[in-house]
Parts: sequence; C-alpha cells; structure tokens
Amino acid sequence: MLDGLSFELLMAIVASMAPVLCFGLIMVFTRRSISASVTVGIIGSFLSWFASLYLFLHYFHAEEAVVFKGAWVVSASLKIPFGYYFDPHSLLMLMIVATISLVIQIYSIGYMAGDPGKSRYYAFLCLFSWSMINLVIAPGLLQLYIFWELVGVSSYLLIGFYFEKWSASEAGKKAFVMTRAGDIGFFIGIIILMLTTGHLSIAVFGNAAEVGNTGLSQALLTLSAILIFSGAVGKSAQFPLLTWLPDAMEGPTPVSALLHSATMVAAGVYLVSRIFPFYAASSTAMMVVLIIGTITMLLSSTMAMTARDIKQVWAFSTISQLGFMFMGLGAGAYFAGVFHLTTHAFFKALLFLCAGVFIHHFETNDFFEMSKAGARKMLIPMITVTIGVAALSGIPPFSGFFSKEAIMAGLAHKGNIWLIAGLLGAAMTAYYSFRVIFVMWFPKGEVEEHGHGHEGGHDDGHGGGRWAWVTEWSMLSVLLILGAITLVLGFFQKELEHFLTGHSAEHHGSQLILVLALGCALAGVILAWFEFGAKNAKQEGFLSRMKSVEALFSNRWYMDHAYRKLLDYVVYGGITNTFTRNDRVIIDGGIDGLCRFTVSLGRAVSRIQSGLLQYNLYLTFLVVALMGLYFLLV
Amino acid sequence: MNELQVYLFVALILFCLGLTGVLQRRSLIAMLISVELMLNAASLNFMAFNRFLTPEPAVGQIVTLFIIGTAAAEAAIGLSIILAVFRRYQSIDIERARELKG
Amino acid sequence: MADFYEIVRQWPLLSGIQVVTALGLLVIMFIPEDRPEVIKKVAAVFSGLDLIICILLFLAYDKEIGGLQFVEKFLWVKTLGIHYFNAVDGINLPMLLLTGIVLFTGCLTMWQLENRVKEYFAFSFLLVLGVFGVFMSFDLFFLFVYYDIALFPMYPLIAIWGSTRKEYGAMKLTLYLLAGSALILPGIILLYIKSGLWTFDLIALSGAQFTPYIQSIGFLLFYFGFGVLAGVWPFHTWSPVGHVAAPTSVSMIHAGVLMKLGAYGVLRVGAFLCPEGWVQWADLMAVLAVVGIVYGAFVGLAQTDLKYVIGYSSVSHMGIVGLGLSTVTVSGLNGAVFQMFAHGIMTALLFSSVGYIYDKTHTKTTFELGGMSRNMPIISGFFILAAMAGVGVPALASFWAELLVFISAVKVFPIRGILAICGLLVSALFMLRVVMKTFYGPANPKFAGLPDVNFWLASPRIILAGVIVLFGLFPWLMLNLIQVSTQSFPKVMGF
Repeated sequence: MLDGLSFELLMAIVASMAPVLCFGLIMVFTRRSISASVTVGIIGSFLSWFASLYLFLHYFHAEEAVVFKGAWVVSASLKIPFGYYFDPHSLLMLMIVATISLVIQIYSIGYMAGDPGKSRYYAFLCLFSWSMINLVIAPGLLQLYIFWELVGVSSYLLIGFYFEKWSASEAGKKAFVMTRAGDIGFFIGIIILMLTTGHLSIAVFGNAAEVGNTGLSQALLTLSAILIFSGAVGKSAQFPLLTWLPDAMEGPTPVSALLHSATMVAAGVYLVSRIFPFYAASSTAMMVVLIIGTITMLLSSTMAMTARDIKQVWAFSTISQLGFMFMGLGAGAYFAGVFHLTTHAFFKALLFLCAGVFIHHFETNDFFEMSKAGARKMLIPMITVTIGVAALSGIPPFSGFFSKEAIMAGLAHKGNIWLIAGLLGAAMTAYYSFRVIFVMWFPKGEVEEHGHGHEGGHDDGHGGGRWAWVTEWSMLSVLLILGAITLVLGFFQKELEHFLTGHSAEHHGSQLILVLALGCALAGVILAWFEFGAKNAKQEGFLSRMKSVEALFSNRWYMDHAYRKLLDYVVYGGITNTFTRNDRVIIDGGIDGLCRFTVSLGRAVSRIQSGLLQYNLYLTFLVVALMGLYFLLV
Repeated sequence: MNELQVYLFVALILFCLGLTGVLQRRSLIAMLISVELMLNAASLNFMAFNRFLTPEPAVGQIVTLFIIGTAAAEAAIGLSIILAVFRRYQSIDIERARELKG
Repeated sequence: MADFYEIVRQWPLLSGIQVVTALGLLVIMFIPEDRPEVIKKVAAVFSGLDLIICILLFLAYDKEIGGLQFVEKFLWVKTLGIHYFNAVDGINLPMLLLTGIVLFTGCLTMWQLENRVKEYFAFSFLLVLGVFGVFMSFDLFFLFVYYDIALFPMYPLIAIWGSTRKEYGAMKLTLYLLAGSALILPGIILLYIKSGLWTFDLIALSGAQFTPYIQSIGFLLFYFGFGVLAGVWPFHTWSPVGHVAAPTSVSMIHAGVLMKLGAYGVLRVGAFLCPEGWVQWADLMAVLAVVGIVYGAFVGLAQTDLKYVIGYSSVSHMGIVGLGLSTVTVSGLNGAVFQMFAHGIMTALLFSSVGYIYDKTHTKTTFELGGMSRNMPIISGFFILAAMAGVGVPALASFWAELLVFISAVKVFPIRGILAICGLLVSALFMLRVVMKTFYGPANPKFAGLPDVNFWLASPRIILAGVIVLFGLFPWLMLNLIQVSTQSFPKVMGF
C-alpha cells in the first residue's frame, strides 16, 4: 500500500485532505472553543496552501500532466476513480483556491470576531476548501461532479450561516436548489458521456485528439456538452439561473469573497475551460456558451447600475465578469477566459474584503451611507478598493485590463457583434463600479464624520482592546496582499500563457481594439464622474430619469417574480396540490371506501343475527338436516 | 318390525323430543334437560347396536359410558353458565340474553 | 485477525442472532413491570449483542469466496420439504447489519419511554425476531412465517404507544401488509406445487425450470405482495400514515428496516425464483418506481408535519430502490441494495432526531417549531445531516446508491431514468424547505431553554451519523460485499 506513496502524492494528499480533517476536528472536538477552532482551521489551510505551493513549483516545468488515481467504487463494468490530476490549468486553479482560502481564513479572524458561531464558520470554510480543492484537481468528470455538489452544500451552509435570519436561510435554499437545477443537467450529461464513451477522464476530454477518438457522434457530443454546460450555468450564476447569487450575499462577507466571487462561482468557468477541447469540438455548444455569456454579462451589468448595496453591486459585477469569461471561452479564446478567471479571482476577492471592512466598521451595506459616515477616512481600504475597481473596469496597468483586453481580442476574432456587446459591457462595468468609488470618495450632503462613533464599542465586543490590532491587521494585511497581487498580476500574462498553453502568442490584439476597450471604459468612468464625482453632481444616475427602466433593472428584470410564480402556480399550486389530493381522495379515499364497504356489508349480514340462541340452533339443525338429505340421496 | 327397530324408533322419538325442546323451550334449564334427552337417545342407539349387531367388542357400551361422563361434565358447565346468566339478567329466560345481536 | 475470522466462520452466528433476540424477549417478559430501568438496560444489552454479532458477520464474511456462507441447514418437516435453512450472502448481510444497527439505536432512542415499558420492548424484540428471520431464511416456509411474525407486532406498537391518529394508522398498516402477505402465500404455494420438488428450499426451487407463464404470474404476486411493504406506488399511503402514528423507535424500525423487507422479498423471492417474470415486468416496475420517486417528492412538498415529510421522502427513496431492481443490471442491483441500507440508516436518523424534538416540544409541525438550531443545535445538526443524505449529497452513503441506480437506469430506460433524476430537484426542494422552516429562522421563544441532547442521548444518533459518513466516504466497504452476490444473480446484465 505504502509502496506507491511518493512524496508528491503525500503532498497532494495533504493539500486535498488537510481541510476535511480540520472540518472533522472542529465539528467533533473543538466546537466549544472558538480560539482552538480558528487555530485548527488556519493550520489546516496553511498546510494545504503550503502543499499546493510545493506541488505548483514542483510540477511547474512538468512536460505532461501528472495523474494519481485509484478505483474508489467498482460496480461491474462501472469504475469510479478517485485521484489527482496535475496539469498547468489545475495547478493554477489549485494555487488560486488555496491562496484565497488561506487569506480569507486569516481575514475572518478579524471579521468574525465576537461571533458565537465562529467555530461552525471555520468548520464550513474548511469543508468548502476541501471540496473546492478536490474539484479543481479531479482527474475525472465524475469526481469533479461529486465535489461540485459538495461545494454546493458548503455554499448552502455558509450562505445560511446567520440562520436566524429568514432571508439568509431562504437565500441558502434558493442557491442550493437553483444550482441543483443546473447540476441535474450536468449529471445527465455525464451519464450520457459515460454510457456512450465508457470513460470520463479529463485526460481524454481535455485533449483535442482524444476527443475525436471517443467515437462520439456530433449530435450526442453537442447534447452532452450543453447539458454539462447547464451545470456551469447554475454554479456560475449565468442566465437564466442567475438570481441566486445576489441573494447569496446574505452570508458573511468573507464567504461572499471566497465562494461567491473568487472560487466557487468560477467553478463553472473552470469546468468549461477544463474540458475546453471537448467544447471546441462542437460549434453549436460553443455558440450556446457565447450567447449565454453575453446575455448574462449585459443583464447583470444593468442590474448593478441601480443597486445601492455595495455587496449587491459586487455580486452583479461578479455575474457579469463570469459572463465575460464565458464569452471569451465561447469565442474560442481559451487563455483569455482562464486569465480573466485568475485576475478576477484576486481583484474580486479584494473588492469584497474591502466591502467587508466597511460593513464591519459602519454596520451598513449601503455605500451612500458609508460615504456619509466618513468612509474616505479609512485610507488603506479606500485605496485598495480603488485599485480593485480600476482592475474591474479594465484600467491599465491593473490586472483586469490585460485579461479583459485578451477577451476583447478573442471576441473581435469571432465577430463584430460580440465585440460590440463586450465593449458595451465594459462601459457599463466602468460606470457602475466607479459610481461606487466616486460616491465613497466624495460624499455629498451633510457628512456625519463620526456618526456612529463605535470604535471603542467595537473593540470591547471583540475581545478587549489589547487584541484589537490583531482584529484590524488580520483584515488590513489581507487587503494589502491582494491589492499587491492585483497590481502586478497583469504583467505576468506572457508567463502564464506560456505555462498554460505551452506557447506564448504574440500580442494578438490589434491596437484598435485596445483603444476601443480603453475608450469605452473611460467613457463609463467619465459618465460616472459627472453624475457622482464632480463638485455639483447630484449623485443620481441617469437611470433615475427613466423610472420604468430603473424599476426593471432594480427588480432584476423580474426574473425572481417569474420564478416565484412558477413555483407558486406550477409546483405548489399545480403538481403538488394535484398529487396530494390524489393521495387523499383517490388512493386513500378508495381504500377507505373499500373498508367502509366491507364494514357495511358486515353490518347488513349481521342483521340475521337476532341474538336469540335458538335461531342459530334452528339454522344449524337445518343445515345438518339438508346435508344429511344430500348424502342420503347422492 | 324386529326388536332393534323398536329400540331405534324409541331413540328417534327421544331425539326428536329433545330437539324440539332445545329449539322451542325458552327456559335454559329446560333446554339443558332437552340436550340430555338427545344424548340419551344417542346412548340408546349405541346400546341397541351393540346388543344386536356387534356384541363382542363392547365398544358401544364404552361409548355410552363416555357419553354419560361427558353429559355429567356438560351439565356441570351448563348449569354454571345458567347460574352466571341468572346472576346477570335475574332470569333464565333465553330471550333476555341477546347481547350477540348483530 | 484472519485466523480469528476463520474460527468465527465455524460458529452458528445466524441462529445465535435469533437465540439472543428470543432470549432478550424472554428475559424482558420475566422482569417485573415496575422496574423499567432494568428492562431498558436488558433491552440495550441484548440488542447490543445482536449488533455485535451482525458486525462480526459483516467482517467475517469471506468476499473472495462469495456465495452462501454461515450456512445452517437441516430438515425440519420431511413430508413437506421444510428446511431450517439460514445463510448469508452479499444481499442479506447488509440488511442484517442494518437491522442490528437500527434495533440497537432504536432501543437507546427509547431510553426516556415511561408508558408500559415492558410490553413495548417485548413487542419490539418480537418484531425484530421476525425481521432477522426473514433476512436470514433461505426456506420459503420459514421466510413467510417470520414475515408474518414481523407484521403482527406493528399493530399494538402503533395503537398503544403511537400519536397522531394512531388507531387509524395501525389498522391501515396492518390491513395493507396483510393484504400483501395474502398475495405472497399463493405465490409460494404456486411455485411449491409447480416445481414438483416438494421442497421450500429457495436454492433448490431456483433450480426448478418454471415455465415463463408461471414465472410471470409468480413474479407479479411477489412484486405486489412484497411491494406493498416496500411502499410501491400506488400502494404507499399506509407508510406515511403509519410512520406518523408510530412511536419513534417503531418508526425507525418501520421505515428503516421493515420497508426494506419488502424490497428484499421482491429481490430474494420474486426476482430470484422467477427471473423470466422479472425481466418481463421490469418495464412496469420502472414506471411505478419513477412515479413513486417524483410523486413522493411532490407530495412531500405539501406536508407540514415533520414525520409526514419523512414518510413521503421514504416513498420517494424506496422508489429509487425499485428503479434499481427494475434495471436488471448488476450495478442497478448494487445500487438498490446499497440504497436499502443507506436509506434505512438515514431515515432512522431522521426519525430519531424528530422523536427527540417531539418529546421535548410536543409538536412536530414545521410552522410551530422554527429556529430549532438555536435551541437544540446538536439534534438539529443530526437532522440536517440526515436530510442532506436524503437530498443525495456526496460523501454521504445514499449518494453512491443513487448514482449507481441512476446510471444503470439511464442506460436501460433512458427517459424514465432522466425523469427520476429530475425528481432529485424536487426532493432537494422539499427537504431544504423543511430544514429551513424547522431549524432556521428566529428561535421560537416558547422552546427556549429546552435541553439539547447530552452525550448519552446523542449516542444512538452519533452511531447512525457515523455509519452514514463512513459508508459515504468509503462506499466500497459495502459495495464490494454486495457485488459478490449480485453478479451471480440469474438473468442480470453485467453492467
């Protein structure tokens, strides 16, 4: 057994299993002691991060993908393997996930200070890290699916962390069920692939030559690709399953940063890019990805323009950036999609964590109120949030600029209409994100600088002033780290491209696209400046002059209403009601009726029983006499 | 009409009397007596067959002895039931005991 | 260790289980009624012994050799060909283990019972005596007798210690199940006579060449006869009503084990003796199973009583077992047997948790509870874990079973398989809905200060939760065992 245990495998096991061990430890032993749980959680994450770093560096120059796997479940000809698959793509994702998990656990020391459920929180974070890491390094689609589901469960648990709020537990349920709806397509797609080709290995579906050898007919390939994509639609909150993500912001902010922006929701993009050659083999499937990505990107950008809740803005921007990644992938720009995924993971985590600092400090989610309460006095968060927003809007030299530009080049390659949609999206992104920044930097109206004045009160609540610096710096240091990554990551485009694709193309976007993209972003920024930033701006968006459009945007295009109606009228009112009635009236009614019939028949027959003994005797005698006669005669 | 037939005839009359009594009398005591009559008719038959047809193994007599024994037991149980009925209904009229009415 | 198992294999462990159970019953009968503590301890000890024997069987069964092991066979009634024939294989061993676990945890769950303790445990042991008997008998006569022994104690157990509409529930359940057994008996007699072998020995009978016509009729009789007990749609309505009315540990045994008895009967008697009939009726089975899966989930959506919800989830989950059986493939059977085991443990945990909540709050209506996670975090955790298993979350036992069943179902009946998979969405919706309404939201001040489970009260739930997670993480522990027997099943496709 231990013969095959190389040091690399041991590190892989540490990377993937340390978090779940911590989950078990916290749930079983240290649930009562918060500090012990935090220590266990952070040690586990650190171990896992360290092992991931080792693997990343160790395999950085590996020629081929390294696979460890063994059969986990064997049932007749069905073999479900469990193992690890290390290639540049999975290593990159592993690094992203491990790093962000670690920094967020550190950040949460401060953010969750004083929360009685902190042990549970760390346990769930560990559960999430475990499932996400195993998802990322899965060697087969089925293992990916298994951890995909587990990621969904941890997301459910974390969104509903403040379970005493109805809205939070509602949101958790909604997230679970909506992503489940997509996952069912994913599951069916996997089964179809498994039954027709006999294997689900990523080594096969991630390799263009092998995909051709599977003997899959074009129709089945397209069908299964679209079905699998529906899983990605659910998990990455794409149209039409996008409304769960804004609601998921009910969870603690670090959770929003970890799950609902940087890693988990990117799993859908990861899935598509993971088996990209498989998708590339079906132009229809690629078109579906492109269309869904475009619709989502535009829809959610419009939603973000009217939101007043800072987390909602970031949530919508996450959806739209994910849509953007899908656009890139759908247009065939594999590297651009993955690169944007990478940069987005860091700057979006940064944005959420900054928002977390503000929310933690001002105890409101509304950025207009934060601004009035003096948000601009908090220099480090303000600077880092600005860096994040600049990256999000695609302003050079921040990382988002490079990745967006790469996607634009891909879109231009595909056709002008997609490029126009992309540019429109970029402009809207710049507009709504700088709207937030300008509002926060330049408060208008009366400013209550120390309106809340709860510096002291906060520290008391969080375990004494002596440890206040830990609380504060655990959060701020993470902001600085992520800010630094956001600043420099863009310059590693060539290296990353070489790492991922094995060759680094020339600067493949034309100058025109560069100018166009930048121009659109700047147009958005300038519009935002005149409406929110300039001295005599009223801080009202141009949308407020178009009431019906604003209502449409702020009601999320009435998608939630539609789902609510669907649930109420079709599921609850229609099917459930019919079935329940059928149970009560037809099945139970039938059986009860049969019983009642039997009983009443008995009643009717019992009339014969007069109760007088001698009638019974008469009858007995009569029967005996008749029988005697019968035997006598026959 | 030979002698056996005479015995059988008497037994038949006894049996019919007993049957009529059981079916017609409303008094439990009378019904019990009638049952005894029927039993006696059966005994008489056994004795007659034993005497005239198969005298050697005295099975008929043995059966008759059994019948007398069971009749005694039956009378004891019957009387105690009648007593119980009397305690409950203050009467031994069978028309009063109608709890098995459907 | 291997030597030890070698020795163990010589022991008559199966009769041992029955002797221990019967002895437990006797000892309980001779303890004076006014000493409930002693009765509970005795019940726990004897059920613990049963569990230990079951675990020993599970470990000592030699998967390399396979086939029937621990065989105890001798002639009972020569003229009729009745044998005392006990054995285990990969199909009934998980069921025996399940029964052992549920019995033991059920006894611990009822630690706080106060009303007529002696009779309660006596009836429970009698019930389990029958259940163990059905699972281990390879003789149709004994199997049927044990089957009826298992049915009868349910009536008093529900009618005396039950709650909501207990007389109605008890009567409905008993009538349904007896109607089922009225179909099984003709089936057994039919095969007994038509085989011409004058034996009730299941293995010998399976060698008889029944004509397809006989097999078709025989299978149908067994399918509906045992199927009533397995909650096959549309004969399922007794089960939620019965679950709701029954006291906690009876619900556990009932939903956890007794319903498996039906599925096991369909497989062991129906499919094993009448494979032709099985193949012939597989289409119908698949239809009924899929309807059951989807229908159960939708009706569950409308329920407000926690126990009704679990009852309908059982209907839905037993549909998965039925779907697995209908595929006539090795993987489908593996999944079905595994699902029987996993579902048994899972519902036992659900009922056990609800039982505790009901004991303390005296209500099991979702809208009267609410926010229980605040008042009773540990017991809520157990319920949520079990509900997650019910939703089919990976790393919990039932996921693997569902996976195998669905894969083989899509292979054999594509449309029905896909419909059944869509049923998963509804089951997720209704499980989470209940979890949310009951355990989340603002805590109900009425129940503030009610004690959560202490370690001892939690122990049965810990065992059940541990089993769910253990077999969820290491499904091959169970699947390798089941596979030994399903592969050699007549007529199955090697998928």
